[in-house]
Amino acid sequence: MNRSRRSFWSNVGAVAYKEASVVRHDKALLATVFAQPVMMLLLMGFALSNKPANVHWAVLDESATALSRRLVREIEGTGYFVAPQPVWSHEEGEQLLKRGAALAFVVIPKDFRRDIERGRPQVQVLVDGSDPLQAARVGGYIGQVAAAFDLQRAAGPEALAPRAEASARSAGLVDVRQRFWFNPTLLDRTFFLAALAGMLLTNLCMSATSGGLVAERESGTYEQMLALPTTPLELVLGKLVPYVVISYAVFLFAVTAPGVVFGLWPHGSWLALMLVTLPFVLASLAIGVFVSTLAHTSAQSVFITVFFIMPSFVLSGVMFPYQLMPHGVRELGGFFPLRWYQIALRRIIERGAGVAEVAVPLLVLFTLFGVILVAIRWRMKPRLG
Amino acid sequence: MNWRRLRTLLRREVLATFRDVFTVSILITVPIGALLIFGFVLATDVKGLHLGVIDANNTSTSRRLVAELGAKGTFLPQTYDTRGDLDRAMVAGDISAAIIIPPDFDRDLLTLGSGHERPQVQVIYDGGEAMLAGNAEGFLRTLIASTTADVLAGDGMRAPGGGIAVVTRALFNPKLDGKPFMVAGTFGFVLSFLTVLITAVSIVTEKITGTFEQLQVTPATSLEILLGKILPLGGMFVFDVVLMVLAAGFVLHVWPQGSIVFFVIVSSFYVLVSLGLGLIISATSATAAEAVQKSVLFSIPLVQLSGFAFPIHSMPRVVQWIAEIFPATHYIRVCRAIYMRGEGPITQLPELALLLLFGILLVGYALRTIEARR
Repeated sequence: MNRSRRSFWSNVGAVAYKEASVVRHDKALLATVFAQPVMMLLLMGFALSNKPANVHWAVLDESATALSRRLVREIEGTGYFVAPQPVWSHEEGEQLLKRGAALAFVVIPKDFRRDIERGRPQVQVLVDGSDPLQAARVGGYIGQVAAAFDLQRAAGPEALAPRAEASARSAGLVDVRQRFWFNPTLLDRTFFLAALAGMLLTNLCMSATSGGLVAERESGTYEQMLALPTTPLELVLGKLVPYVVISYAVFLFAVTAPGVVFGLWPHGSWLALMLVTLPFVLASLAIGVFVSTLAHTSAQSVFITVFFIMPSFVLSGVMFPYQLMPHGVRELGGFFPLRWYQIALRRIIERGAGVAEVAVPLLVLFTLFGVILVAIRWRMKPRLG
Repeated sequence: MNWRRLRTLLRREVLATFRDVFTVSILITVPIGALLIFGFVLATDVKGLHLGVIDANNTSTSRRLVAELGAKGTFLPQTYDTRGDLDRAMVAGDISAAIIIPPDFDRDLLTLGSGHERPQVQVIYDGGEAMLAGNAEGFLRTLIASTTADVLAGDGMRAPGGGIAVVTRALFNPKLDGKPFMVAGTFGFVLSFLTVLITAVSIVTEKITGTFEQLQVTPATSLEILLGKILPLGGMFVFDVVLMVLAAGFVLHVWPQGSIVFFVIVSSFYVLVSLGLGLIISATSATAAEAVQKSVLFSIPLVQLSGFAFPIHSMPRVVQWIAEIFPATHYIRVCRAIYMRGEGPITQLPELALLLLFGILLVGYALRTIEARR
């Protein structure tokens, strides 16, 4: 018994050693390990945001009063917009929207001043609904500025003086004091970078293992391995070990780089982070192995991998909040390990959770890993040809 | 150029492709799968968000506010007794937002305008989910404002002054439905990614098995080999475009506002660009895996910078310039113009000219790389 256990680990070790020396010469994989993390960090840290910025807009000011001009200035003052483009007719404004040259078109009616005196001023805002997310937000910003517009003050002699607090004041009857926890300025960067490790590890683990078995079958080394006194389990575990080590290196980069570059250090427990990474890496690697048992050529295996990675990015919630997806699609995303890993990452990194708070994702990830192992065992009966 | 030779090459390529069941099934399932997945992920309407509530006021007014917040299905209120419980729920991710109603809320509301403090509520969002919080914010504020106004109106009070009413109308997409936006973008995604990948892999595979060398020693010229390769592939990708238009129309009920014929023509321009890119990648890769790695590395900035998922105007100026270099950026822009705003050829002329230019440059460069290796 003792003897067989020793031979089990030495077999695993031997396969791991062989696999590690293969990895060292795999240029494509090394590129994934070194180039991709930096590229993703830069993109997510600097380039991507869903927050409207530099929004182009047009204004048709039919009233041409000091008041209407101040309204325009206050909208511009929110910082989301560039200087408005004045237009002289409805058609001109709608043409700009249609060409995509403006995202919003504000129409201030001729009787704006009279309406204010009567107490029910109104302006019209046309937004380009093509991008609904942007349209809703841009419309919202303009609405908030207008609702907070101080008419009493506006009528006075100092009406032309710009007032910074107008846009900051909350609209309506109730003073809504709001705070955004964990990310006070609602930076999309924080949102994306918290899940950076998940994206990098998915790419790395899946592409690392998926080609492996097929390539061995193509080059004939698979038969040689079958002839070895190793069981399929030893083979699979041995192949996974070097990648687990690389994965942890990439993981450390993905967690510390946002800290060094953007000051986004994890708020929660490092132990929990390390712990939850293990089943995720194992599950992703195992999926890669499973893919390679399905494919007949290495070209096929990369196709399957790529088209597994794609939906897992989209449906897991690393890019788009899964809470907003319709039912059915939302539950479908639960089958991807990345969904649970990103939930755990965000809880630990952004909200400062510990091991107890990520128990559920941890458990699910281990379960997924187990299920995939069973599936591999079922596909990988020792066979030739 | 010899038409008979070209015809033979074409026939060979078509036969080779249809024999490969795997590639054919990828060409059909991936575009449709991408449409269905992307079609559903972008949603602006907040629904079923868990909202933590601490109602220290606990009067009919505050209860009505909470009930209204839950009534529209936007929020699912959950009451917590202490601030500690609420904070823990927030950290654990059980709730995405929280509202705290202070003890004197109803008194402040009903004495509004008589020199008292304005009534106050505290709202906390889970900023970790930045996009979700941004969307929820607008909904919550609007609901609070309208409910409190209703409460006052019910008591025969008129809301005191201030503010301008805004009538907002969304053109091209009045219900702010996320599907058309994503569907139009998915064309750009599939045509950039799938086509580059398939072109690159198919040629690299031929290089590895040696059949490409065999072609090169036949009397066929480079141009003929190239055309024999990319015409059938291009034809299949254009077929994919038609397939996607139909799938989007029948399954997701999203049809182009503009002309379908014009759309297919524009897309075939863009197919040319992808083919050129695929050829270049295949010419510089030794193995299929390398070709795929290159396509994937290339596709990351493509997906993220082309405006497919993230608005270009929100990017820093320098990144915006980089985005303009990607042909996909221009193609996606035209796709959306046709799909959502019903644009015709005239307004899109500059973008079209640019796409054609990209296509000619890339295919020309690919031709040179193949020529050079003869």
